[in-house]
Amino acid sequence: MSRNFSTDQQLIDQLLQNDTVAFEELYRRYWHNLYSYSLKKLHSSDDARKIVRKIFVDLWERRHTTPSDFSISQHLYSHVRMAVVECLNERLNNAADQELIAETLLNSFSTKALEPARRPVELRNEGETVFLNQRVQADEVHPKYNPFSVKWLAELVSVKTHS
Amino acid sequence: MKTEILHKKLERYLNGESMPAEIRQIQTWLSVPNEEEKQLTKEEKDQLGADILAEIKEATAYPLFYPGSEKQWWQKAVAAFF
Repeated sequence: MSRNFSTDQQLIDQLLQNDTVAFEELYRRYWHNLYSYSLKKLHSSDDARKIVRKIFVDLWERRHTTPSDFSISQHLYSHVRMAVVECLNERLNNAADQELIAETLLNSFSTKALEPARRPVELRNEGETVFLNQRVQADEVHPKYNPFSVKWLAELVSVKTHS
Repeated sequence: MKTEILHKKLERYLNGESMPAEIRQIQTWLSVPNEEEKQLTKEEKDQLGADILAEIKEATAYPLFYPGSEKQWWQKAVAAFF
């Protein structure tokens, strides 16, 4: 690990002092996870790109109004989920997009498609298990950098449960 | 489910008017792991990251208002040394 490593909290503190280097470091740490998550949900690289841009523009514009107990990973996690829902809703306003959504996304809301989220990990199919194993391995390498990691989500749920 | 029904559900969710079952359905959809999309090469990923950052800079104009945040070469050298 680099001796110049800064924690997310240090970067947020620097961001409050208008430090653009800290802002760009946060961007480098998280943009791809946000992009990848949005792309998987919406199947649109343009929308994924728009969501990443919006989240980081908002982070910069609202840097002075962040609460004292601000957690960047929780902030990004909740914002990307809301942005994905907003984007899908916006696309459904467009008649031309509705057909495309019916073909590509509608099925992902079916009970069958949502079932894997309810099953215990050991009962999931091979593909999903590989996916989870890759996630866990990724956690071992960069636990702090992966906002959608299994450990990260578990910590988040634990924090929310306690609070 | 039809797109009209999904649209209404999402509208209610965004307005905070969803039924608990609808909230569960949408949040489960947000949480369920999806299949991997086509992987970008390192070059494509770097280029995409740089392009989005350029758009953010353009939207916020922060390099114009805070040009001094970038460390000078001698500051970087001192930081690397220590």
